[in-house]
Amino acid sequence: MKRGLALLFFVGPFLWMALTSVWPEAQLTRPLPEALTLASYAGLGGSFARAVVNSLIVAALTTAVCLAAGSAAAFAIARLPVPGKGGLLAFALAVSMFPPIATVSPLYLVLRAVGLRDSLPGLVLPYTTFALPLALWLMTSFFRALPDELYRAARIDGCTPWQAYLHVFLPLSAPALATSAILVFIFSWNELLYALALISTPERRTIPVAIVLFAGEHAEPWGQIAAASMVATLPLAALVLLFQRRIVAGLTAGAVKG
Amino acid sequence: MRWCIAVYALALACSRQANPGALVLKHQPLWGDPAPFHALLDEFRRENPGIALRTETLPNGSDIAREMFVTALEGGASDFDVFPIDVVWAPEFAKAGWLADLSGAFPVERLREEFLPGPVEAVTAEGRTYAVPWFVDVGLLYYRTDLVPRAPRTYAELDEFARAAMRRDPSLSGWLWQGRQYEGLSCVVFEVVWGHGGDLLSGGRMTLDTPAAREALALLRSAIDSGLSPRAVISSGEEETRRAFQDGRAVFLRNWPYVWAEAQSPGSAVRGKIGWAPLPSATGAPGPGALGGWQLAVNANSPPERRRAAEKLVAFLTSARAATLLALRYSRIPARRSVYTDPAVKAEAPFIAALLPLALAARPRPVTPYYLLASDAIQGELSAAVAGLRSPQEALERAQRIVDHLEGAQ
Amino acid sequence: MNREARAGVALAAPAFVVLAGVAVAPVLAAVWLSLHRSILVFHEHRFVGLGNFQFLLSDGRFWSALGTTAYFTAVAVGIELLLGLPLALLLQNSGGLFRAALLLPWAVPTAISARLWAWLFNPQYGLLHRLLPAVDWLGSPRIALHAAILVDVWKTTPFVALLLLAGLQSIPDEVVKAARIDGARPARIFRSITLPLLKPAILLALLFRSLDAFRVFDAIYVLTEGGPGNSTETLSIYAYKTMLRAGDFGYGSTLAVATFLCVACIGLLFGRALRERT
Repeated sequence: MKRGLALLFFVGPFLWMALTSVWPEAQLTRPLPEALTLASYAGLGGSFARAVVNSLIVAALTTAVCLAAGSAAAFAIARLPVPGKGGLLAFALAVSMFPPIATVSPLYLVLRAVGLRDSLPGLVLPYTTFALPLALWLMTSFFRALPDELYRAARIDGCTPWQAYLHVFLPLSAPALATSAILVFIFSWNELLYALALISTPERRTIPVAIVLFAGEHAEPWGQIAAASMVATLPLAALVLLFQRRIVAGLTAGAVKG
Repeated sequence: MRWCIAVYALALACSRQANPGALVLKHQPLWGDPAPFHALLDEFRRENPGIALRTETLPNGSDIAREMFVTALEGGASDFDVFPIDVVWAPEFAKAGWLADLSGAFPVERLREEFLPGPVEAVTAEGRTYAVPWFVDVGLLYYRTDLVPRAPRTYAELDEFARAAMRRDPSLSGWLWQGRQYEGLSCVVFEVVWGHGGDLLSGGRMTLDTPAAREALALLRSAIDSGLSPRAVISSGEEETRRAFQDGRAVFLRNWPYVWAEAQSPGSAVRGKIGWAPLPSATGAPGPGALGGWQLAVNANSPPERRRAAEKLVAFLTSARAATLLALRYSRIPARRSVYTDPAVKAEAPFIAALLPLALAARPRPVTPYYLLASDAIQGELSAAVAGLRSPQEALERAQRIVDHLEGAQ
Repeated sequence: MNREARAGVALAAPAFVVLAGVAVAPVLAAVWLSLHRSILVFHEHRFVGLGNFQFLLSDGRFWSALGTTAYFTAVAVGIELLLGLPLALLLQNSGGLFRAALLLPWAVPTAISARLWAWLFNPQYGLLHRLLPAVDWLGSPRIALHAAILVDVWKTTPFVALLLLAGLQSIPDEVVKAARIDGARPARIFRSITLPLLKPAILLALLFRSLDAFRVFDAIYVLTEGGPGNSTETLSIYAYKTMLRAGDFGYGSTLAVATFLCVACIGLLFGRALRERT
């Protein structure tokens, strides 16, 4: 019973959105549709497909950079005598708490100066910055939990620290990498503020911006907005269903270790 | 790593424009059959064989188009040449140096002769022309001919007529207008201010906190409080109010000319039962409507080779022939005076021909480069006053402070 | 520095250079910008010292936004904790499918969720409008902010529940079992044992959520854009509009710096409370 209520509240709205996406536009004022149609999906057009591709590009790039830089730094902090490592971790945590609005104006100006403002690679920079602390914390806890002997054995075998990282620890960290990848990907896919502020050409919009700016000059095409939302939501729903355990573990790791 | 570079390069490459040599015209999507407009452009191509013309459609929505233009032009874009600008953008864009000076091909005196005064005021500054008027919009009052004896001349009459109709049919709304927090609200409020004899610009600076403005806001607020206007106007834009009026649920509607064709179309519940008139005022003289509309400008960053071609295109598109076609096929209210007295227009689009007095009297919103910058703050305060969150006095004081801050200390 | 330390610094450098360059440097630059009158479009850029901050102190719109943000944070986070705890208990005994379903609001972009709710709230077609026709959710100044709070609660209660779940799972079973053997009733166990042991998790959830709620932008921007009458305008939205619609980068940066200071204060307060507990 309680589960039913929870499901109704948290999942119900999505079902309503799914219904709206197959509801004929002309019948939106009636209590229920008399027929179902796929016209809203058909009308989505190339511009939304482009937005999906843009989101994919930015999310993929961000994930790649976060994993690379994050795992390297995490290994260093967890296993190597880096001076001030406690402070560095605290600093990373502090950065994740910055209000994004505080960095928008200078970032806008700097990116504009180097010509990266209205571009997808330009978005990767702020995205990486705000997703990195999460990846860093996850990977650091993972590396810390591995046995000490592993590193010592690798060094005795003649590995440099870099080789130990690349050939021993990185392969072992596949599960943590996967979790970090999923969380960073979701964050990057969902981000709105920077995408809104930095991207102006319609062809380079990401999905959240495309959904927000969907409105036409006068009437709002609710059927199409619902259809676009469904297209954007289904991959995430699939991700969540498949990797639910990882996601929960990743999100709660911070709480337990923190 | 190589894969990363490849993706990066791909992303950068996709941002380059193809075909740098053609003349590029950006325009809004046109409501209606695009064929006549394309035929018009083909005519231009035939008359100018040396010019390769390409068109690009703008996104719908004035605010979005503006943000797009601002960021493109601010970044020095030169991949488009001729583009339409909303009547309120002209001063800002001109001051920013983004609009080519067209005074050579379109001297100010000639503009004043051939076009309506409102748009000309908006596109000229210090004796120089920065854009050429294309078509206009003007706020006006629609009324139900079956519910009221005639169009009201004063706000008191509007109230009286509406309430009489509402007494006979309590399900009716009296007076619909756009009260949501956006530019449409500014238009509505300014119209009432002008109708009370006030002005918004004084000595080149915006003056919002005036007695006329306070009266105007108080009038709008009391319309809601007294039930003359339904509370829903606070969250309504053009479309919401049009639909309600077109469904027969209201006595008076303030909106733009586009409503006429919609409301007279077959299937409309009020077809044949509506009239239009200038807005009321405090004194009974016709109240000025807010001026909207679009003008054609040339990108200041366009290379000189394309400048002459761009000016030719602008002349062509703003010519009487083109303006007549736009009026007849797309119901675009002309900015050119002669079109109103054109026999074809008088015969086939009498509504447009009859709009001339209103179009002549249409007032532009404050013509200052800082208007757009301040409009966000102004909309917020006007919306607060209309929604009853603050008294008109307080709202206007706050708006004035922000506007003064933006315009800079004297 | 020995070889290992040098390798460590080299490995950690890329990450922290990015963090310092893209997070810290811009914040410092924003502080610098906030001391100028800077209108990008007109190429106006002039040093005005603390002039912007003086204007800020007397700017009614800033104080309204601060109040709105504080109210939003307090109410949203409060409700999320109240609902999150029972939800966490529910999650403890549930399978993967239920957990996945509950994660959906968190995983979906806020822009989409907010559009979804805007549709539900729509004064002409919305489902909620049909159920309660008298209420204009997004058009009434006093109700609109609570509509935004509802959307935030809907989106993040599962996340709060997860944080509390982690806390619940870290409570050793033996303690609870011992209490039960001693004859204590479930409610008593919950109040005297579970809740106190859960305090660190609750404080952590409070910290994360308060910081997030104070920075809120997406949901409100999509639902109301700050209207009606700026009654739902939070600090982030005011700063955004000032910078990107009014084009006033100087004062916009001032607002952003003020937001940053508020967030820092909250962080420090909670950080101190957390440190005292552990």
